[in-house]
Amino acid sequence: MNHLTEEQLIEHYYAESSQSAGIQRHLRECNGCAETYAELRTDLDAIEPIAAPARAAGHGEQVWQSIRNFVPVHRQKQQGLWQRFSHPQGLSFATACTLLIAVAFFAGRQWENYQRPFQTAASNRARQPIVLVVLGDHLGRSERFLVALRHGNSAESTALVKAEAQDLLSANRLYRESALKSGDPAFAAALDRLERVLVEIANEPQNASQARLAELQKELNTDGLLFEVRVLRSRVQDEQEEQPPAAVRTLGVLI
Amino acid sequence: MEENEHSIIRAVLSGNKEAYGALVVRHSYAIFRVAFRITGDQADAEDVVQEAFLLGYLKLESFESRAKFSTWIYRIAVNCALNLKNKRKPEAAYQIAEDADITQHQVQVADPVANPERLLLSQEIEAHQARAMQELTAIERTAFVLRHMEGRTTEEIAATLQIAPNAAKQAVFRAVQKLRRCLAPLRMTA
Repeated sequence: MNHLTEEQLIEHYYAESSQSAGIQRHLRECNGCAETYAELRTDLDAIEPIAAPARAAGHGEQVWQSIRNFVPVHRQKQQGLWQRFSHPQGLSFATACTLLIAVAFFAGRQWENYQRPFQTAASNRARQPIVLVVLGDHLGRSERFLVALRHGNSAESTALVKAEAQDLLSANRLYRESALKSGDPAFAAALDRLERVLVEIANEPQNASQARLAELQKELNTDGLLFEVRVLRSRVQDEQEEQPPAAVRTLGVLI
Repeated sequence: MEENEHSIIRAVLSGNKEAYGALVVRHSYAIFRVAFRITGDQADAEDVVQEAFLLGYLKLESFESRAKFSTWIYRIAVNCALNLKNKRKPEAAYQIAEDADITQHQVQVADPVANPERLLLSQEIEAHQARAMQELTAIERTAFVLRHMEGRTTEEIAATLQIAPNAAKQAVFRAVQKLRRCLAPLRMTA
């Protein structure tokens, strides 16, 4: 047997070699390969698995709460319809159904042409306020959070601000991702800056001093961010009042 | 437990959205752990966890009843993490710090050794290891994490990353070679 390649040795280390017995035998007989393998084993043994940081007991629940408002309810699919119609006694019923569907389709087309302008406007009106209200609410809370951060002057207010940052963080992540996906980089960038502040505050220790918070505010320019959030919020409010059909896309958030 | 999970999935698919919460609670830490190992960042790992469970819910109809939910959601999460790493090119340089500060790209590494000299050596090795891991491409890092840290076979890695088994094997080889090159100076001094 020729000398073993590094690839063969790596496969052998991970117990995935198809010629395991042959390799074992070769390693016993060939000092060079045995030495190379010993070095490889030492190197790989030294690479410890990366330890992931511990999560709080309610982590899973927090994850679920952060996504549950964004998932629709699954509807069970109707099955077995074809089997019902394939029976001879169902054939006449199927013919009647087909006829009925054709008539309904034709009538529907006529009715749709008549109603289209009214329906489009109505469905846009129905959807946009929900999206805008949710987003407006998030920006409103973020604004209050930044104001509280600026004016907080007690340990109690620090704890409240920290809790609020943790609460806002997951929603903000989803809005930012959504804004990015729908091609609104300016909006996504503002939410990204907001997220940095939220992450910092949420990860501060419980007993963080006022001086530390003031230092963070300075570092992260939270005053500038507060202004930015106010501008975005007024933009959302304007959109809410006007409700033009393209409002959802221009805000860069799809729900 | 598997049967129980299948009945939860049936419940979710028949309209009981809240039942999905039990699956999220059960698997969130395992998903966070692999996401953290691939991304090397807590905030990114949290993003991956949310995205994976969100996608999992939306794609739940395509879940096959003979599969295990843990394996299925794990695959989704690994791909989310890989996509995120690919988006973050070029790799950020990470530093090892006593108190991790994610905005400064610092990471904390666990170190159970108490002896000061060993502590120093161990910290040096881990710092090298963290830097060496950042030298790998996203696919190499992911394949290596799955093979070396998560104990997945080449076949499983290939299935998870939707690549050929030989490509998965090559990714692990390349990762091992690069890591050994980066860690070689430490071997000399040890």
